Amino acid sequence: MLKDKTYKEIIEYVKNFDGYLLTNNERDVSQSDFKARIMPWTTLRAAATRDMVGYFAFEVTGGASVHVDLMKKQINPFEKLRLIRKSMPNTLIQAGVRSHNLFGYRPYSENVIRKVISQFAKYVDVFRVYDFMNHIPNMKVVGEEVLKAGKVFMPSLCFGIGVDHTNEFYLSKVQEIVNLFGSDLILSIKNFSAVGTPERISDLIKVIRSEFPEIPLAYHGHNTDGNDLARMVAAIKAGVKIVEVCDHGYGSWYSQAPALSLIQLLEEYNIKPKKLNIDAIIESSEIIKLERRYYAEFESPFRGIDPLAHAHRLTGGALSMAYEQAEKLGLLSRINEIFKELSMVIMELGDIWPITPGSQILWSTAVSNILYGRYEQPSDDLKRLLMGGYGPFPFYDPPEWIYEKVFKKEIKSRSSLKKDLKSEDIKKREKEFENQLNYQPSDEDLALYLLFPRDFVEFVKFEEKFGRTWLLPPDIWFHKGRFENGKRISFLDDRGKHHWIDIISTQHFENTVKTSCLVDHHFKTYTITIKNEQKT
Amino acid sequence: MIKKLLVANRGEIAIRIMRSAQELGIKTVAIYEETDRFSLHVMMSDEAVCIGPGPRKDYLNIEKIIHAAKEVGADAIHPGYGFLSEDPDFPEKCRKAGLIFVGPPSDIIHKMSSKVIAREIAEGVGIPLIPGTKTLPQGEEGEKMAIDFAKKYGFPIMIKAVSGGGGRGIRVVNTEKQLLSELKLAKSEARTSFGKEDIYLEKGIVKPRHVEVQILADNFGNVIHLGSRNCSIQRRHQKLVEIAPSFLPKEVDKEICEAAVRAAKLAGYKSAGTVEFLVDGDNNYYFLEVNTRIQVEHTVTEMVTGIDIVREQLRIASGEQLSIKQEDVSVRGCAIELRINAEDPKQGFLPSPGIIEVYQSPGGHGIRLDGAVYQGYEITQFYDSLIVKLTVYGFTWDEAVDRLRRALDGFNIIGVKTTIPFYRAIIKEPDFRNRNFDTTYIDNHPELLNYREKEDEMDKLARFIAELNAYGYNPYI
Repeated sequence: MLKDKTYKEIIEYVKNFDGYLLTNNERDVSQSDFKARIMPWTTLRAAATRDMVGYFAFEVTGGASVHVDLMKKQINPFEKLRLIRKSMPNTLIQAGVRSHNLFGYRPYSENVIRKVISQFAKYVDVFRVYDFMNHIPNMKVVGEEVLKAGKVFMPSLCFGIGVDHTNEFYLSKVQEIVNLFGSDLILSIKNFSAVGTPERISDLIKVIRSEFPEIPLAYHGHNTDGNDLARMVAAIKAGVKIVEVCDHGYGSWYSQAPALSLIQLLEEYNIKPKKLNIDAIIESSEIIKLERRYYAEFESPFRGIDPLAHAHRLTGGALSMAYEQAEKLGLLSRINEIFKELSMVIMELGDIWPITPGSQILWSTAVSNILYGRYEQPSDDLKRLLMGGYGPFPFYDPPEWIYEKVFKKEIKSRSSLKKDLKSEDIKKREKEFENQLNYQPSDEDLALYLLFPRDFVEFVKFEEKFGRTWLLPPDIWFHKGRFENGKRISFLDDRGKHHWIDIISTQHFENTVKTSCLVDHHFKTYTITIKNEQKT
Repeated sequence: MIKKLLVANRGEIAIRIMRSAQELGIKTVAIYEETDRFSLHVMMSDEAVCIGPGPRKDYLNIEKIIHAAKEVGADAIHPGYGFLSEDPDFPEKCRKAGLIFVGPPSDIIHKMSSKVIAREIAEGVGIPLIPGTKTLPQGEEGEKMAIDFAKKYGFPIMIKAVSGGGGRGIRVVNTEKQLLSELKLAKSEARTSFGKEDIYLEKGIVKPRHVEVQILADNFGNVIHLGSRNCSIQRRHQKLVEIAPSFLPKEVDKEICEAAVRAAKLAGYKSAGTVEFLVDGDNNYYFLEVNTRIQVEHTVTEMVTGIDIVREQLRIASGEQLSIKQEDVSVRGCAIELRINAEDPKQGFLPSPGIIEVYQSPGGHGIRLDGAVYQGYEITQFYDSLIVKLTVYGFTWDEAVDRLRRALDGFNIIGVKTTIPFYRAIIKEPDFRNRNFDTTYIDNHPELLNYREKEDEMDKLARFIAELNAYGYNPYI
């Protein structure tokens, strides 16, 4: 099994694999098309069949998912990984990491990065690491810690199109990576915006292969514009070893293209699948098709491929969030106006890559510009970007007038803006945790607390009160309205035992609701006081 | 044999007494105060009489109780424990009313309730006494006697109320200054609590074990013991965990059991009783006191001997001889008893009155429950907060402890706070598991209160379902 091999052996395996390998990126599918809401229930239901497919890896953590696991799914991200590891023993587990921003939106200090990566490395086999500024030093600490843990390091170059996004530029970045980490890694091209023709992708891959033949390549694309199958075929034909796909059962739009479609297309080119179980791919999707209905409300208000991706360049996850945000602000009818503004903002702010956290900064700047006037109400993150807090601009600096508008008279010179991030006092934070929750945090607890202090504390309190709610079926988790008397909620726990909760009656008083139920055949009654300010 | 028995008590002990009576074909009568009308003992009896509005004062009213017994035609009264069980007037008034009192006669209760007389009896049969004074005289004379005693025996010293009992009216002092100031307080407390301010001193035994011997005596001079119990785990002198046997070395155990029988014989004891001892680290034992009632912890003795103590009490009271001889008594295995109360240990064991919304109890081999509640019962502030007395039996100590853990895990009690999580903490504690404890155990293990209350995983999920149901949506997504 690959997971029992050393990272060097895995890389060697990829390099010498006579064919193409697939990585199933459910994390990105969930984030791009279902607002990151795919529940562990669904993932675990399809786990056994997915594990039989022969995927190189299964990306199920990282990106926004760690935060969403805590906030919206109420599952400990490490517990999720333990469950997946148990259910998918034959497949490598992959995580997407936002370089020094880890799974958040701002850079973390070096000691926090080391703590977090070392904990995730207990479960994760492949770390796919990108930086939205393509500033390779931002990956340094993460990469060091991944290699120290003996895991596969997969630095990813954010891909874009435009006059500056040349082969020379990308080759210089690969050289920086090699200079920093050596060649025992897999290099990934991250085409999050679903841009570029198949020829452009093919050309870039060929150039990199010819300059760095010892490094195996991977391609992570999105199908936002509907063309990623063609790009993946071109990538594989140009020598890419791993491409990222989804289950066709999800019927995804802004995430990866389906595995089966790619396999069938490649067969037309006489490129046969190797070590792939097609029946298992179909069976996984049959399971997922039935699960997909639970998540309908989280799909984008506009379903379908989006050729405008070439202009706004938003990644799948950012695009669906953009629609949601625009809807909340009452700006859905002006979405194209915002997209146009976004294109302009991207160019003004150095033609950087609109992917997290850059996508949020660029998008919120565009929205703010529409609502309040151009750069009239800059966010702190925009200021941090302009100050170099995320790294230097790759091609050119934003014009002086933006600095003047954003900072007014707050700064005298740009060189005074950038400050190195101080080391976190982890011992102090540990004590702080203990004071709040009355127990000593484990290393995993501490890692999550360092990442998301407030939200992790809230999660621990939630779990203490309600237990492992992720065991409940999604139709219960997302249930709307009161349960009917006699309703039976049944589910299986992670030890293989069946449970059921039968609703006997609901009594509604002025501010309270009393629910009587049978829990595994014993009677329980709970009186809940309705709080108006309850978070929604 | 008694035909109709009025049980002058409430709660679990009333029910426990009724069970034995019913097995002997004796009709049972419960009494209750108006404030206690929904009590389980009322439901379990064949007949019930309301003796007044309550709370608590009517259960202490001998005249009303005797009147109730006469009214229903009962021929005997069992006092249980607490309330009037050790009031020497009660058996006498029963006798005068032509009723059988299931317990020792008045003179015995009177003798034994006086600690000074009890010590004389013990001394008379050669039971070592903890060095102590007679009742301290009033004023400076008493203080001088106390100081002389301290000089002779050293500290710690216990100040005890002559009429105290059940751990009440005891103070421990460690310095002369403390001794003098506490003497005044102890007298005042004795007067308030027991009506008499008589106090005496005893040498404090460091890290003592509390060991007691169950005795049974009939009206024909037959006295037997049913082995020993260890009741060292106490909080503020109130027993929390009781174990049978005491696990003293065999010869020491035999010695104290025989000494208890000798004391009972000398006192002319009748019915069931308990002779209590303190045993120091070197297994030297000292007489403590005699309890002239059935005790809460009698169940552990019943579990290891198989003898129904209440049944024997009823037979003795009916004028029959003991049905067993000393040689018939054998102690086998180990039993542990706990009082599961509606109390919050984290709040200083403050009573937690309320409605028992859910009550589910464990079962299976070696588990005995003497309960006082039912699902829907309201534990009021008026009476003690005992929910159920749990007694487990195991062939060995380890087996009994494992069974105790399993039994505690098998309870599902919703609506009130209980002492169950505190007991769980005790069971996990290494000193307890290694049977390394004395009466200072609770004070020396304050960490036992650091437990986290464990709720069943599925119950937590049901709570979440109730939350969804209340809001009509998931407020956490």
